[in-house]
Amino acid sequence: MNVITTSGLSRVYNPDTIPVYALKEVDLAITAGEFTAIVGPSGSGKTTLLNIIGGLDKPSNGQVIVGGTDIGALTDNQLIQFRRDHIGFVFQAYNLIPVLTAMENVEFVMLLQNQPVQLRAARAKELLASVGLADQANKRPSEMSGGQQQRVAVARALASKPSFVLADEPTANLDAASTTQLLDIMAQLNEEEGITFVFSTHDQRVISRAKRVVTLEDGQIVRDEIR
Amino acid sequence: MISTLAWRNIWRSPTRSWVIIGAIMLGIWALVFMLSFTVGMVQSYVDNSIENGIGHLQVHNADYRQEAKVQYYFSTDVLPLAQWKTDERLQGVAVRTLVQAMAGSSRATRGVVIKGVDPLGESQATPLSRQIVEGEYLDANKKNCLIISKTLAGKLKVKLRSKIVLTFQDLEGHITAGAFRIVGIFDTGNKAIDEGNVFVNRLDINALLGNSAMAHEVSFLLKDITTLPAMKAALTAQLPELAVEDYKEVAPDLQLYEGQIQTSANIFMVIIMLALLFGIINTMLMAVLERYRELGMLMAVGMNKARVFGMILIETLLLAMIALIPGLLLGWGTVAWLSTTGIDLSAFSGGLSQFGMSTVVYPKLQAALYLQFAMAVCLTAILGAIYPAWKAIRLKPVEAMRKI
Repeated sequence: MNVITTSGLSRVYNPDTIPVYALKEVDLAITAGEFTAIVGPSGSGKTTLLNIIGGLDKPSNGQVIVGGTDIGALTDNQLIQFRRDHIGFVFQAYNLIPVLTAMENVEFVMLLQNQPVQLRAARAKELLASVGLADQANKRPSEMSGGQQQRVAVARALASKPSFVLADEPTANLDAASTTQLLDIMAQLNEEEGITFVFSTHDQRVISRAKRVVTLEDGQIVRDEIR
Repeated sequence: MISTLAWRNIWRSPTRSWVIIGAIMLGIWALVFMLSFTVGMVQSYVDNSIENGIGHLQVHNADYRQEAKVQYYFSTDVLPLAQWKTDERLQGVAVRTLVQAMAGSSRATRGVVIKGVDPLGESQATPLSRQIVEGEYLDANKKNCLIISKTLAGKLKVKLRSKIVLTFQDLEGHITAGAFRIVGIFDTGNKAIDEGNVFVNRLDINALLGNSAMAHEVSFLLKDITTLPAMKAALTAQLPELAVEDYKEVAPDLQLYEGQIQTSANIFMVIIMLALLFGIINTMLMAVLERYRELGMLMAVGMNKARVFGMILIETLLLAMIALIPGLLLGWGTVAWLSTTGIDLSAFSGGLSQFGMSTVVYPKLQAALYLQFAMAVCLTAILGAIYPAWKAIRLKPVEAMRKI
């Protein structure tokens, strides 16, 4: 079953002056349980593609269907709610809330979903344990290493039980050991719990762990390799 | 957790937060102090005017209020004086005969109002008997004695035991005169009263006017001002032929001054709240712009615009609340302290006494105004939060974060 389907997806900047195509007629289907890397050189359109799939940006042409919903047809507020309930995000710069503890950061998205306190706390504990940070629950981001923060970000991304997780260069700021640890956790979550991951990356260590590698160049898919 | 988040956000930049908290506190304190001082000044003016002769209620011949002619008197036979003596609501009742006159000494003359009073009644209704600084107060048993203020005595170049000739028209319109000896010199501290009045026994002046049972005015000093409406109604019923007026009707300037309190409160509030408003907007705008990327992330992961707006609003209200309570307490404490010790303005006493005010002002403030200030601060905080919060909800997550 397709979790994400894009058809004829284009994104043009400055359409009225000097048009710059970030994406050109991209057709992509991602099925549930995939562990997909979007790769390509800088400026190839990886981030634009993830932004549009994640409902953070709108395409100039084409359609994005996520779990049967055409997200291009949603209003701003509907889109925010859609992202909250269906998409998990992992950002390159972790982007945790600095004044909240690891536990509270994970709970936060569930709070936005109006889930009851006890349920939130139990699930946050469980998720932190699954990323190996049960003992760091009460630490704030500033008291944790980059690798630990990114693992908290993964736990946060999973908190709302999303249809899939989008990760934009999740290992770009991490050292080798933290990268390996994070990839192990993501791969384990993918294999054991069937969570769909789509991530953009330059990192060969990440690419080597992906089950599917989609290569973009100049806004177009030039290769789509399933391993 | 949104409230927790808002609370912790405030303390991300403690110095900045303390600066705005301090500014709001100072603003509230200044507002309370300035207004309590104004209320104290106004109250001092009103109280002095009431105590120094106007009283809470006055009775006149209706025509006398239109034109203060000596012929517009009423007969004291209609006054239920015995009943008033036993009325628990009354502090004092002063019956007066009032005559425009020329006061002449051997060296100068001045235009004055002769107040013919009953010494005992006047001493119960006004502080005149306690304001004698030289000599003695009027004695009902001594004929043709007079008390004069220190200021007027200086202008007429007279002293204790000097003789003064009072010249005026009698009830028939004939010029008449009487010689009076100064038995006491008083000082009310109110230049208008001191320079314009001399006091004599009412029966002495009535004899010169030609009617022993006449008076122009009765002034009532109440023990408790809250009994004023009931007392006024009772007097109106007792004296249907006479005009019964309260102090606001007798002296409209007092009503004007009292009315100024709320106007002053509003003006002070608007000025201070405007200053605070810009301070709050500046602080919250900085807080929002600093967290632009984070706010983008919050919206990316599903925090809707209403919640973002609410979070900024809560942060602003929390800042205001932190300042509001100690600010009000500080203001209340200052007023409580100064309302017993007073603020000594004797350096400006000349000017103040000309306006009928005391040289020591006792600030005071009605409880309702504290509530108004609290509401004004909350309203200012809400107004101050609107622009920064609007700025926050207008951001596009993808632009705020540059990329996911």
